Amino acid sequence: MADTRPQVFIESAALDIGWRDETRNLSELIFRTVRRALDGSREGLHGIESVVLAAHDLVDGRSLSSMVTAPAAGAYLRDEIRYGDDGAAALVAAVVRIEAGEASRSIVAAWGRASEHDVDTLSKALFDPFVQGPLGLDELQVSALRAQSWVQSGGRRADHALAVARRRAAAAVNARAARGTTRTSVPSYPLTCDDLPVWADVVAAVVLSSKGGPVRVRGLGQASEPYAVGDRKLLAMPSARRACDLALAEAGMALTDLDLFELDGLTLLDEAILLEAIGLAAPGEGLSVLARDARVNASGGGAAGYCAPAMGLARIVEASLQIQGRAGAVQRPGVRRALAMGSSVVAAQTHTAVVLESA
Amino acid sequence: MRPVAIVGVGQTLYCRSHADKSSRELIWSAAKEALDDAGMSMNDIDVVVAGVAPDALAGEASVERSGMMGRGLPFMRVNTGGVTGSSTVFAGASYIRARRAKAVLVFALERMGQATTSQQVFNTIFDPIYEKDFPLTTITMAALRASMLMRLYGYTHRHWAEIAARNYRHAARNPLAHIRRVVTPEEVLQSPLLAWPIHRMEACPMSEGACAMVLVDAEHAAGRRPVWIQGYASTSDSYAMGDRIHRPEATLVDLLSLRLSAQKAYKEAGVTDPRRQIRVVELYSAFSSAEAMAYPALGFCTSPEGPAFVEQQLVDPTLPVFNPSGGPQGANPVGATAMVRIAECALQVRGTAGDRQVDGVERAVATGQGGATQFSTVCVLGRHPTS
Repeated sequence: MADTRPQVFIESAALDIGWRDETRNLSELIFRTVRRALDGSREGLHGIESVVLAAHDLVDGRSLSSMVTAPAAGAYLRDEIRYGDDGAAALVAAVVRIEAGEASRSIVAAWGRASEHDVDTLSKALFDPFVQGPLGLDELQVSALRAQSWVQSGGRRADHALAVARRRAAAAVNARAARGTTRTSVPSYPLTCDDLPVWADVVAAVVLSSKGGPVRVRGLGQASEPYAVGDRKLLAMPSARRACDLALAEAGMALTDLDLFELDGLTLLDEAILLEAIGLAAPGEGLSVLARDARVNASGGGAAGYCAPAMGLARIVEASLQIQGRAGAVQRPGVRRALAMGSSVVAAQTHTAVVLESA
Repeated sequence: MRPVAIVGVGQTLYCRSHADKSSRELIWSAAKEALDDAGMSMNDIDVVVAGVAPDALAGEASVERSGMMGRGLPFMRVNTGGVTGSSTVFAGASYIRARRAKAVLVFALERMGQATTSQQVFNTIFDPIYEKDFPLTTITMAALRASMLMRLYGYTHRHWAEIAARNYRHAARNPLAHIRRVVTPEEVLQSPLLAWPIHRMEACPMSEGACAMVLVDAEHAAGRRPVWIQGYASTSDSYAMGDRIHRPEATLVDLLSLRLSAQKAYKEAGVTDPRRQIRVVELYSAFSSAEAMAYPALGFCTSPEGPAFVEQQLVDPTLPVFNPSGGPQGANPVGATAMVRIAECALQVRGTAGDRQVDGVERAVATGQGGATQFSTVCVLGRHPTS
């Protein structure tokens, strides 16, 4: 297909990660972050034609939650759509709408509030109630199965402590990261408490435009896994690889052309295995790369705060800030090109990859 | 914009509960029918977009995932309540317009028969602090609007009953409809009151089922039987209904979000005189009285002319035909209903609607309505792409 699509840019991006803010309800949390993104954009709310959201009713705790949350994201009397999917997929959908000529400026927002729901119970409910549910599976246990497969195939754990320390150190200085004690889950072998995500309340927002901006969207990729966990290649993560390859091909780039990688993994081991799946680390070397390569999840990744379905968009915000030189204490030098990836239920069943470049 | 065509339509039977079928079976049944209708297979599909409304209705979380076809394709789930079905179609069409796909499979699924208390699920859409005191439900919400229409414009119980009877008459000719029996206006009026002024037979049933369509670009439409999506739009309104009563732009029953969507979709489609240029209208009106709000919003009459417009429909064959499928009173699989409206319009334009076919359909309009009429969509379909 001939590439006659308009270019799409990120005008601005905002990310707020916290825990149980008793002074704000969900709508107020969303409004605050979207407002910050709009305030940092070229024209604010003026000219916004489309609002694309990523949110789950089950996370928000009410049916059709976008009724109450969409207006807080700027949707009043505008075109609005809510995806029950990851925030990175919502960003792709918003880009597609602009490319289609349906909008010239869009708000993309995604959120999840782990302080207001039992993440483990909800995670169990994601599996079908007849075949997979009775096994007692939850998403962390699928991550554990993936990690077991990695260990059995020779994954090198020698740098585990170093990888844990590096992402904790990054999260500790990242001004956008969660602070203090949050909810804890129980890890299954071979995962440890150090590998788990730091559950948090997360709101991410991006303003997209066809009119220009500091960051250009260069490539998009999306792919999915089979439905049943047993049908998937948990270690190879072919949909992650495919999404990444598609985005790079569209951008006309290789992994070696990129300066930064913000990747979404539920656990530290998921992040490591994802690095191997997309070809950024040799088989079995994912943890070592995480421990030593400061280009990977400079934000702290899952240690900076985690709640689906916001994480893909959170990764995009972090990458966007790095490209703009506005990432604060976690800023890497000379970041011009970055890859951000998101994944969605159930247990990383779909993957989205986005290549960004300084405009 | 780049033309998008519907070349395949598939629907399951709509009924209270498909107790013998899994969600995956329902999805695949509709999808396979749509693919066969298009003369295509999953090998030809670039993107899959799924539409499922609140998970609680299915009693199963992320039930759309069971519809993943295992081919590694981009797959996304849309949830916009009552407009989920149309939002899903629009999301798929955008990929084709953006030249990111040549063929997209869209499907929408409703499993509300598995929820033992679907009305309680719906009740959670209202604000737990302010609106719950009324007590507000989807039925009382519609009743408030119906009584407002009666007071402002002179609608009577008879108008609601006539609209309902017409929808049942049409549904009786639709083999996929959940409710298939001719009902007279008198029977409607004799049915129990749910919430004044709404009688039970003016309300939609609770239905299960799946709908799927194949969308393609112009190249892939060649050699098939395309129905062209000439224009579409969606608009989101305020959450609190109280905010929509006294604002200067429009009252609660003016359906501002539907009016804005229609204006945008009509402009794209080149519709300037809807009463003359549109032959068939498939409305997402879960209650017969709700249809009255759509007539002026879609440009068929002014609000004060509404009651007379209902009466004219009974005697004037030149007026557009509303809900030849029976509309949501024939079947209301909530998360799929707005897609069913588009699918039925596609069948009408293509001339393959069977016993419910209306003669000479060049152009049809489908609406979607969701979230306490907060979300509105309009889709214009025709025999030819817009230039």
